[in-house]
Amino acid sequence: MSEFHQHSMQPTLDHDERARQEFVGSFRAHLSGQVMPGAYRVYSTQIEPAFTAQHGRPPLNQDEVRKVMTSHPYYQFWSAMQRRSQEMLWESVIDPTERQLPQLIRQANKLARKPLKGGSKGTLQLDPKLVVPRYHSSVDIHLQPGGYHSDFTADDVAAGAIYDKGIYLYMGGGLGKENDVMGNTLLAYLKERHPRFVPGRILDMGCAIGNSTLVWCRAFPQAQVHGIDVGAPVLRYAHARAQSLGVAAHFSQQNAEATDFEAGSFDLVISHIMLHETSRSALVRVLRESHRLLRPGGLMLHLEIPRGNTAFEQFMHNWESYNNNETFSRFMTEIDLKAEALKGGFSAEKTTVQEFAPNLDVSQMNYAENFFWKILVATR
Amino acid sequence: MTSSMSDPPRRAKGHQPQFFDDPALDQLHAAVLALASELAVAFDRIDTLERLLERSHTLRRNDVECYVPDAPASEERAARRADIAARVLRPFVSYRESLFRDNAAQDGTAPIRRNDQTGTPEHKP
Repeated sequence: MSEFHQHSMQPTLDHDERARQEFVGSFRAHLSGQVMPGAYRVYSTQIEPAFTAQHGRPPLNQDEVRKVMTSHPYYQFWSAMQRRSQEMLWESVIDPTERQLPQLIRQANKLARKPLKGGSKGTLQLDPKLVVPRYHSSVDIHLQPGGYHSDFTADDVAAGAIYDKGIYLYMGGGLGKENDVMGNTLLAYLKERHPRFVPGRILDMGCAIGNSTLVWCRAFPQAQVHGIDVGAPVLRYAHARAQSLGVAAHFSQQNAEATDFEAGSFDLVISHIMLHETSRSALVRVLRESHRLLRPGGLMLHLEIPRGNTAFEQFMHNWESYNNNETFSRFMTEIDLKAEALKGGFSAEKTTVQEFAPNLDVSQMNYAENFFWKILVATR
Repeated sequence: MTSSMSDPPRRAKGHQPQFFDDPALDQLHAAVLALASELAVAFDRIDTLERLLERSHTLRRNDVECYVPDAPASEERAARRADIAARVLRPFVSYRESLFRDNAAQDGTAPIRRNDQTGTPEHKP
């Protein structure tokens, strides 16, 4: 587990706050590494044989699995612990954030004004009139109380500070000290498959706190990198965090379904596990917008999480859909991303869905023993 | 801006799932986990006190808040946390083992090795 980078936009921890965060991290690692794999075993040795004996065939899909699995005590116990650990994870981060919020807001405002070394400076453009889409506001995604978009005070950055440490604990540090593993994964794909591609303008859709955005700023220092999101507090935090880390990025509050950027103005459009947080209709609009924004020859790379190959894997992957406020996620199991990209205007010859292996161990995976990132790749 | 400050919420908007037939069981499990967390916090605090006292035979309250364990101490504390997690989950792991024992007895497969796939943690005596 890599040590979290305690930059100047993170609250400091007192003794017991640190202990609570460390316990929830340890407990979740134990659940993922020791308990979750047992659910696979319970299913293959007990549930599936019993179902097959009764129906003359194994369960056909995740819904049939759900009907039998959710009544098993093993599943019930694991789920109760998994759900509660997710709530405790956020509580352990909210405590120190709430305690130091006025200082964090002052620090963010100070960092926002400060030019970086060499005189460059990132920017932040908020749009108070932006309508936060329903798929984002109807429930608090991942159980983060207040979601990523709610302001509770002037110049609020709490949602960002909470998200930053929260996702670090969620993956047991597996996202890296600056939560940059997803950015690095997508970057590694680009470098491997398109080694000569050097983008001048990059757009990161659904960037939240810019943890992945900064990977691209650092990889292509000559490029102008934009990050957009619908949530104001995460963007304020993203801007201050980038300034704190000495990286110039341009953040603006926009919906990826329809941005105010000019057509053909980007060489590279990317996102990091954002698509499954949208909706059936929004997904096509995001892909259509990606198409509109790319110049001819420009590249689109959307990173997505795996959905499972067997009915049981699909059921496990969709645990979060039912129990961690990932409402659209389960529909992604049936959605053909390539077909959606074609509806968005990309051509079949220039569109593909790739699998890419991560560098994680089972204690960091939460729901599956086999984990492959999915990447929707298309050239304009 | 302190006067207009409102605290971030503590509960997420959305459906509250119920995993057990009796909702009291869901709440009981949540409470057990919260207790385990507070126990881990207390253990860390005791450990901090012991280490500080061992070092200087006296301490100020603020020394505890500022204490950052060095690498060996961090490792020992991490092992303690893993041990608490394992102990909290032990009844459940025993239950799972009984499931697989019954199963193995029925189909004649070999018994499950401890400390391997069963999730039974290793405990030092």
